[in-house]
Amino acid sequence: MKVSDVRVGVLFIEGTNCEDESVAYFRALGARAEKVHLKQLTGDVPKAMARKLEDYDILMIPGGFAAGDYIRAGAIFAARLKWKLSKDLTDFVEAGKPVFGVCNGFQVLVEAGLLPGLGGTMTETPEAVLAINDSGHYECRPTLLKQVSRGGNAFVSKVPRGRVLKVIAAHAEGKILFPREREKKVLKELLENDQVVFRYVDDRGRYAGYPWCPSGATYNIAALSNPAGNVFGIQPHPERCFFAYLHPDWTREGGPGGLGDGSAIFQSALSYVTRKF
Amino acid sequence: MGARYVQRSVPFPLHEIRLVDASDRDLERISKDLGLALSVDEMKRVQDYFGRAGRNPTDVELQSLGQAWSEHCCYKSSKVFLKEFIFPVQTPDVIDRGDAGVMAFDDDHAYALRIESHNHPSAVVPYGGATTGIGGILRDVLAMGAQPIALVDPLHFGPLDYPFEKLPRGLKHPKYLFGGVVAGIRDYGNRVGIPTVAGCVAFDDGYLGNIVVNVGCVGFAKRSQLQRNRVQEAGDVFVLAGGLTGRDGIHGVTFASVDLTEKAVGGWEAGAVQLGDPIMKEPLIHAVVESAEAGLLHGLKDLGGGGLSCVVGELALNGGLGAEVDLDTVPLKELGLAPWEIWVSESQERMMLVVPPENVAKVLRICDLYDVPATPIGRAVPGKTCRVRYKGETVLEMDLEFYTGGPEYRRPVHALPVPTKTAKLPAKPRNLDSILLKILKSPNVASKEYVIRQYDHEVRASTVLRPLQGVIGKAAHGDAAVVKPLVDSWRALAIAVSSTGAYTALDPFRGGATAVDEVCRNLVAVGARPHAITNCLNFGNPEKPDRLWFFREAVRGIGEAARALGVAIPSGNVSLYNESSAGPVLPTPAILGVGIVEDLRRCVTSDLKRAGDRLYLVGTTGADLGGSEYYRALGIDGGAPPSVDLPATKAAMAGLLRAMAGGSVAACHDLSHGGLAVAAAEMALGGDVGVRLRLPPSDLRFDIAVFSESNGRWLVETRKGEEDSFLDAMAGVAFTALGRVGGNDVEIGRGGEAIRGALASIRKPWTEAIPNLVVVS
Repeated sequence: MKVSDVRVGVLFIEGTNCEDESVAYFRALGARAEKVHLKQLTGDVPKAMARKLEDYDILMIPGGFAAGDYIRAGAIFAARLKWKLSKDLTDFVEAGKPVFGVCNGFQVLVEAGLLPGLGGTMTETPEAVLAINDSGHYECRPTLLKQVSRGGNAFVSKVPRGRVLKVIAAHAEGKILFPREREKKVLKELLENDQVVFRYVDDRGRYAGYPWCPSGATYNIAALSNPAGNVFGIQPHPERCFFAYLHPDWTREGGPGGLGDGSAIFQSALSYVTRKF
Repeated sequence: MGARYVQRSVPFPLHEIRLVDASDRDLERISKDLGLALSVDEMKRVQDYFGRAGRNPTDVELQSLGQAWSEHCCYKSSKVFLKEFIFPVQTPDVIDRGDAGVMAFDDDHAYALRIESHNHPSAVVPYGGATTGIGGILRDVLAMGAQPIALVDPLHFGPLDYPFEKLPRGLKHPKYLFGGVVAGIRDYGNRVGIPTVAGCVAFDDGYLGNIVVNVGCVGFAKRSQLQRNRVQEAGDVFVLAGGLTGRDGIHGVTFASVDLTEKAVGGWEAGAVQLGDPIMKEPLIHAVVESAEAGLLHGLKDLGGGGLSCVVGELALNGGLGAEVDLDTVPLKELGLAPWEIWVSESQERMMLVVPPENVAKVLRICDLYDVPATPIGRAVPGKTCRVRYKGETVLEMDLEFYTGGPEYRRPVHALPVPTKTAKLPAKPRNLDSILLKILKSPNVASKEYVIRQYDHEVRASTVLRPLQGVIGKAAHGDAAVVKPLVDSWRALAIAVSSTGAYTALDPFRGGATAVDEVCRNLVAVGARPHAITNCLNFGNPEKPDRLWFFREAVRGIGEAARALGVAIPSGNVSLYNESSAGPVLPTPAILGVGIVEDLRRCVTSDLKRAGDRLYLVGTTGADLGGSEYYRALGIDGGAPPSVDLPATKAAMAGLLRAMAGGSVAACHDLSHGGLAVAAAEMALGGDVGVRLRLPPSDLRFDIAVFSESNGRWLVETRKGEEDSFLDAMAGVAFTALGRVGGNDVEIGRGGEAIRGALASIRKPWTEAIPNLVVVS
């Protein structure tokens, strides 16, 4: 499959607020991206506007505050997904197609039971939670993310192990927690499965605390995949460093021209699809 | 007296008010009873109108006039001065002056800008007031058909550490107000998905009784999608889109047009503050922009102050037509609203789309995809009458010129003396280092990172320069943010704010002019050509001649400076009656400035880049200390605030922009609060490298040279090897070579005198001052 044939669906509901730039930047890489309302996938729209999930090659759930996130980040969107789209989603994931969640999208994937997915493709109940940051409030700041996986997922073929990316974090609930009594076991399993993809580091590459890890996330985890490697959730926003001129320090280092660190994740997903299908 | 209110024989609340035979005292009483906030003279005009019509008004009609004729809606006390000093300041790039100003961006695109206040509601309900402030400004920009792309928030509070026991009765503590306002901006702004890219937080005793919460917005549009705030032809349908209408926000504009007395506070608390819902606003923006892009609209306007009563009247009057509305078609939050309540409710998240009949179905379809309620509620009709029906009964029928025109006053002003000289200085303090530290950790100068990082300044993934600039993890204040509205163009918009309460209180003309000078300096500091400004004017009760004088003089200063610097003023907002039991507010002009960046690859940030680079001070330093942070630190009141030398500023701006376009500037920072010392410290903190400056000999006392807040100045780092190119570009501009980047200290010397702070010892106090004050101990 050529990049220009890759169809990307960027899913949104009310309060999702990063869909436009996500579509624009997938398009900048040559993919056929469009934003698609959940209602268009569930058939709750006039026929001409309806879409099928299976018609897409990549599903992205972008950032924002879906439905306001007044209950728990991602919980409402995830409930609506599971209510009407469980089977379609399971089929999509089991077909090996990439599912890409950013920030609120990561929270949705965790709430929906698609991540970390230790107990199956889509677990009945969530296996983790993205809890409120240790600071108690929203944190919008540049972070440094180290690629720590062995590459067993669809989103890092263009990011060598050990490379550190500059990516913008912006969330109130980014502190990943696992059931306390099983935390060690879960973590071990995640590492064995090569599911921990990015970890927060400081400017010297160390696994540091606040503010380098803005939330206090367990094991400095910033991004996870499912065991199969095709469902991927990342807390900071790679699209916000998609071009070099979006890097937080481009006037100091690297200059404004060309693609930025975040683009490698988008490129990896496209490359995975073009190679596989 | 009760007999003045007669229920009409209909099965819903509708009163006729016996106005025609009312005495002056009755008129005053009626205005009070109904919460109209109209004066006796204004009530007499109403009486006269209905006398000629040969009937008494309904409550719907009187309430409409209370809204339309409020200071908030019709600018009756301020307009005369705005007409004289502000409205004429235009440039050929002004495209429209509606709910927001619209300016040319390039041949195919435009941007919109507007700033306004939400002082009164935020003073009473800080969280809710701040949220709906953002909601309102977003709608103003949206009303031009533009996609909002950036928000800014100039905020002003009393001192965070003000002793509770000294707080006058009835006032809320600054710490509570600050916390609520910041949280409100965060929770609404972040949800709605528009980045908050600039702002300021100022603290002064003069804001104890009246906080100043301003919010500005910049939008972007293809020129073809721009909308006018008017109906176009008879038959155009009014489609009300967005939130449902309820009892929240009734009489907001009338309470905003009187002093914040204990009674008014009660009124606000009883329901005049609206309830914001960002998760209705977010899809509403999409639906409206998509309808505008698709060319389906004939006009557009937001529902803000005065609700339907203002939007329908203004849309029709601007289009030279009449209007008809069926109030019972308006979707409600709750049962049992009287027609007048539906008509004046300020419930949030509503827009009025003016749609030609053949496009209505298409517009409703777009709204439906986004789950945005949308309902046709009326239409434009020939003639000049506004007619409103409820369940078949005509509840309002008034001539639009009378209804929407509103009164206009030239109220008396009383000039106060302004200080012309520097206040008497004490002997030069022995330990200037400790004063530098004191100023760096004073709340007006200290790092605002605690606030800035709670706001999403990155959503939309087009923020090129952020409010904090420099080494990751060590960034310090920048002068302006830059956003890139188009993926395939290097042309961009720079956005900055300024506010000058402390200067304006001493000399309002200079305060107004300085606000413009400063916002333009901020824009130039990142490499943008100042293009347009929009002003929010926060002043006291205009019926008091001295307060009005402050207003007039500040407006005169703003107009004069903007004209001299070549920037347009296509929009603005006035907030009067900022008075409480603690007296009038510190008179505060706040300005949102927008600059054009020709090529963002040439943008410059404030952080120092490299040891060894040379530094230059652009502009001239005088003894400008009135209202300065140095005086504040020493506890000195009074003195003349900084004057402006507009031709010099203009020449310096042109020189700097030439130098930046040529690539010779590595870093640049405007000198404002705290003068040279603070600017140098911020640049050093952001770049995490020291600076060694040597001032040339001069007659100015050393401490004055270091802390003076003279206008028209920047500190510039040039790139190594590019000094000659910089000097060429700056030909004809006053500047001084000052030293070099290097070391680990901020150090300024002259002869045997020096002031110094080690980066390692100033970073923490500067960063932690605000968080330490905010935490409840």
